Amino acid sequence: MSNLAAFIRKEVTEHIRSGKITILVVIFIILGIMNPAIAKLTPWLLETMADTLAESGMTVTEVTVSALDSWVQFFKNLPMGLIAFILFESNSFSKEYQSGTLVLSLTKGLKRHTVVTAKAIVISTLWSALYWLSFGITYAYNAYFWDNGIAQSLLFSVVCGWLIGVFAVALAVFFSTVAKSNTGVLMGIGTIFVLSYILSVIPKLNEYLPTRLLDGNSLIYGKSSPKDYAAALILTLAVIVVSFIASIPIFNKKQL
Amino acid sequence: MDMLKITGLYKHFGDKEVLKGLDLTVPEGSIFGFIGKNGAGKTTTMKTVLGLLKADSGEIEVAGERVVYGQTATNRYIGYLPDVPEFYSFMNASEYLAFCGEITGMDRAEIAARSSELLELVGLQNEKHRIRGFSRGMKQRLGIAQALLNRPRLLICDEPTSALDPVGRKEILDILLAVRKQTTVLFSTHILSDVERICTDVALLGEGNISIEGKLSDIKTGYRRDEYTILTESRSDSEILCDTFSGITCDDQGILHFSESSHAHVEILRFICDRNISILKIERTEPTLESLFMEVIDK
Repeated sequence: MSNLAAFIRKEVTEHIRSGKITILVVIFIILGIMNPAIAKLTPWLLETMADTLAESGMTVTEVTVSALDSWVQFFKNLPMGLIAFILFESNSFSKEYQSGTLVLSLTKGLKRHTVVTAKAIVISTLWSALYWLSFGITYAYNAYFWDNGIAQSLLFSVVCGWLIGVFAVALAVFFSTVAKSNTGVLMGIGTIFVLSYILSVIPKLNEYLPTRLLDGNSLIYGKSSPKDYAAALILTLAVIVVSFIASIPIFNKKQL
Repeated sequence: MDMLKITGLYKHFGDKEVLKGLDLTVPEGSIFGFIGKNGAGKTTTMKTVLGLLKADSGEIEVAGERVVYGQTATNRYIGYLPDVPEFYSFMNASEYLAFCGEITGMDRAEIAARSSELLELVGLQNEKHRIRGFSRGMKQRLGIAQALLNRPRLLICDEPTSALDPVGRKEILDILLAVRKQTTVLFSTHILSDVERICTDVALLGEGNISIEGKLSDIKTGYRRDEYTILTESRSDSEILCDTFSGITCDDQGILHFSESSHAHVEILRFICDRNISILKIERTEPTLESLFMEVIDK
């Protein structure tokens, strides 16, 4: 247990001293502020563009925005935040493979599964903290400007958004134990997401696919209900658990 | 007791067979020089001992316990210094040692005491900067400190002096010599003068297996061939010797070489006495590690 704590402490120190945390916190704060800001600015933007729009035959009437518009932005910006996060965190293992820093730790008797566990804990905790920070900011602004109450199943929809992040983290850990380079990890995660998007064209499959969890908009507008997401939720959870568990025996046999 | 015992170790990379049935025994308390040219398989052997590489076949025992690839429990007996040690560069030296101590399960007081003792041994006690700014020599010294942290019974160093300047090399060799009382040292190198300076035992790695192995002194005696050199005072005398004895050769500096097999040395000495030849030096030559090394490589 104490060596798990030691490795986690090392990971956290590294994140702080490399400035990674600072940059990620700034990104997620900006994302959190951007959602209500864009919603708030939409009427003004349309007004200033009214003349140009009129020329092309569109007339701008009174535009009213609500918390829903801000939440739509939230779900639109979620993939952006997730991509930024994964780009920052995907080299967690490969950086150590390339520099050879793990060799010394492992030859000192550090258990291999401790490395995987510590990194998985740190990366998923960091994702959770950043995600809920961004959510909190959007929520607070929305509550101040409008009323969050009109968004249906809000909590469920944002939990889905958070879970898709954990899913990406689990894939990052899994592919980090399989691949040697950062490119390999990113390609692995990318392939899974692209596959999920492609398959989602088939309506029958769509309800099972993890990427469905990104569609929070249907939920908050009440076009679909949480139970429609059950299958995707269960499958995503299963993949998360399997990825984390499978990465341990794979990492145990990895040549460093 | 043998600290390390390797029997019949095979390892290939692609179609290149690096180790071909290597046998090696490192006795406890020795400073063992593991010699071989670049690419001979020294690092491969060491990494296999550490369970970082999977052997194709063969047995390795550390302190009487079998080495298993992957989760390598025998590593608790070993301190390892890779050829280019890489540390978490965002830490400073004492933070890194504390981290190493924690992952090996040492308690805080022990870590603090041992760290300061080792940092002093390797001369980094006043170094407060992060490892990012360390020179190669400093990294090697920190590498030795981390390797010795949990009092290993076997210290494995992979070419610890190869990339260093003469001062840095001397520092490392002095440290290795100093830790001999605490641990068995196995270090690989291709710098033969380093071996002659500190090693008690050596093994020469030739084509994938050990060509010569044993106590350095025994090897030198064992490989002593009856070769002699003679230096005469005047050049003309050496020419007379060369002309008289067909087995004597003369090199550029006028030094004469011969071996007992071609002429008995007493016969030559008698000739020297009879002719009143004045000599500066007559010597039975000791084989150098270099000559042994070249012989092994040529084979």
